[in-house]
Amino acid sequence: MAGKKASVWTSISFWRRSAAWVTGLATILLIWLTFDTMAQIRMGTDQELKEGIKRRIPAPTVINYKIDYKYDEKRGLEAPVIGPEKQPLFGKELSPKEAAALLHLGKLTSQSKNCMDCHTLLGNGGYYAPDLTKAWLDPMWEQTMPAMTGKKTKEEAMVAFLMHPDKYPTHARMMPNLGITEQEAKGLVAFLKHMSSIDTNGYPRGFSKTIKEFQTGGTYAK
Amino acid sequence: MNFHMFEQCHDVACNNFFAWLNQGPLTLTIVLHTIIILPMFWIYFSEKKKLQQGKED
Amino acid sequence: MLNKTAHLSPSKQLAMNYFRVAIVLFGAQLLFGLVIGLQYLFPGFLYEVVDFSVARMIHINALVVWMLYAMIGSVYLMLPDETGIEKPVGMGLGKLAFWVLTAAVAVVVVVFLFIQVGPGKESSIWFINEGREYLEAPRWADIGIVVVVLIFYANVFFTYMKGKKTGIMTVMVANLMAVAGLYLAGMFFTDNISMDQYWWWWVIHLWVEATWEVFVGTLAAYALLRVIGAKREIVEMWLWIEVLMLFGSGILGLGHHYFWIGTPEYWWEIGALFSSLEPVPLVAMFVHVLYDWGKEQGAHEAGGKGNAITNGPTMAWVTVNAFGNFLGAGIWGFFHTLPQVNIYTHGSQFTAAHGHLAFFGAYATILVGMMYLGIQDSYGLKKLKATFKSKMALFLITFGMLGMAVALTIAGYEQVLVERAELGAGWQAFFTAQNLPWYVQAMVWREIMGVVVFLGFVYLVWDLLTIGKVEAAAEEA
Repeated sequence: MAGKKASVWTSISFWRRSAAWVTGLATILLIWLTFDTMAQIRMGTDQELKEGIKRRIPAPTVINYKIDYKYDEKRGLEAPVIGPEKQPLFGKELSPKEAAALLHLGKLTSQSKNCMDCHTLLGNGGYYAPDLTKAWLDPMWEQTMPAMTGKKTKEEAMVAFLMHPDKYPTHARMMPNLGITEQEAKGLVAFLKHMSSIDTNGYPRGFSKTIKEFQTGGTYAK
Repeated sequence: MNFHMFEQCHDVACNNFFAWLNQGPLTLTIVLHTIIILPMFWIYFSEKKKLQQGKED
Repeated sequence: MLNKTAHLSPSKQLAMNYFRVAIVLFGAQLLFGLVIGLQYLFPGFLYEVVDFSVARMIHINALVVWMLYAMIGSVYLMLPDETGIEKPVGMGLGKLAFWVLTAAVAVVVVVFLFIQVGPGKESSIWFINEGREYLEAPRWADIGIVVVVLIFYANVFFTYMKGKKTGIMTVMVANLMAVAGLYLAGMFFTDNISMDQYWWWWVIHLWVEATWEVFVGTLAAYALLRVIGAKREIVEMWLWIEVLMLFGSGILGLGHHYFWIGTPEYWWEIGALFSSLEPVPLVAMFVHVLYDWGKEQGAHEAGGKGNAITNGPTMAWVTVNAFGNFLGAGIWGFFHTLPQVNIYTHGSQFTAAHGHLAFFGAYATILVGMMYLGIQDSYGLKKLKATFKSKMALFLITFGMLGMAVALTIAGYEQVLVERAELGAGWQAFFTAQNLPWYVQAMVWREIMGVVVFLGFVYLVWDLLTIGKVEAAAEEA
């Protein structure tokens, strides 16, 4: 080298240029990834549901179908299984418009009642109450809660519980009465059923196991 | 034996660029790290040249 | 802290105003934290009066807002020193913005506390509560915050353009633009919960794991210049290295929030490796602070000039920051950042443990340090030595926070292994874990340590109110 000894490592200009480059490129990559992800997480259409085309976030009409959560051998995790059997919410199949309206009401209610500061949704929120990601599939709604609320179906039991949670305590830690109306409660049930159909890459892991264990009276079943 | 090192994409959607890069053992993240870090070599040598020339003046 | 500011430059006077509100909100944060900690132990406590959701909302929003106040205050504090301009451009508007913001915060808190929730209508989201963790502020307040922050930013930007352009201020001005801009990503409603959380994380993560961290880097640089007389070239070189590493790992580290919210599997790899590197710059910051401190102290002692530190409490809090940032954000974050671990730990007390130690270590510490710098300026002191109260505050708060984090980590372990690994989540699984003796014990310890933190806070306020007068008297004598 013809030049004199010069350490680049203590040169501010080197670090400044590197910082600008790295920040800029990371930002561009993030924006690119965001475009790609947006395309994958937009809500699907009713047509796709009918044709059995998988979407990460299905159309609101997914609430007309039976939803399950099963281990996928290839992916090594559990994934939602939608249909093909129908299982309309409250026994009445909804049009895409009606389903979207009900989901809208449910999502809006979930925010205005501030569910997220006690519960987690998709694992995010408060840690004071159970995670709601797959709440629709929770075994508690199969027998315990319908019996407690005196309702025949789980969706009716959910509505009864949401309207008067203080009347149906399951633990010392109780959900407060938030003044949820019947229509809002129905919306929330639609919102929860829709959320359980989202492909969350296997979170919460082992949820299907709980369902089986509790149904068969597993170790911790009460 | 299948060590699951190079797996075919089993994600919900596989027909996109990032899923294609994601071929198994950290391929996607290593590509991203590499394209972020490699140009820093060029920045390093261009700075070095500048410093050496600056001192010769 | 309450008087003696008349001789200060307008910028620094405004800084002290921001600090005053910040410390009040800090107190509110701790009080409501104690309430929700108690509700874990006595679920009937304030049931249907101030429910957990309400108290927690105030706990976390008071946290975010006091930190924003203290951050804005810190900028106004360093602005004259860095730019050489005593009265920032548009100071009148800046003062007005402070009062508008404070009034808005007061209204939001009153609505949160007394109206709490609304019906499932758009109007609730606009006027009562947006119901998205950390971003609960209703939409009208969101817009208000944006306007106020724009005024603040204009103050800073035009002052910067007019005055000296140091490296520290360059980073500050560029970074503040990102902080402000990112808030916009959280201001819309969608029925799609995955879309909702995707953008929600743009605000939360890109604030606390990228732009706020860079902000802390600039504050630490400024503090080292002032408190131990570090060399500007060295401090600014480190600052650029920190920016490089913080943004290099932090921006795509966002991927670790996209493991389970309905987003594609390729985020596993991106989130895993980038966020695993997030602790690296925190180590660098730690090394940098200790190295500079040792170097300046050595030079002072060799020259027979005694102690290099001109502000004891600030230096102590900056040092706790350097270590706490690495421990709370770095180590505790790394614990559960890999998807293989996170699939079990996501949304458990583990997250709470990390959240508590990281917000304290990374942000609360250095912002308290900046308040002590403000006191030093207010009283025009050459040196500010730590009093007994400063030491008690530092010790009790740090010890209490560590204790809380450890307790929550143990609770998290219990919860993760029993609720998640053993029982596979769900309603009954959740409560089975919540009722385990070890989990309950941990929650008792958490509350005890919370009280310790609060005691430390009492010392802190007491010290901030009195240290200036005491030291001023000592300097005159």
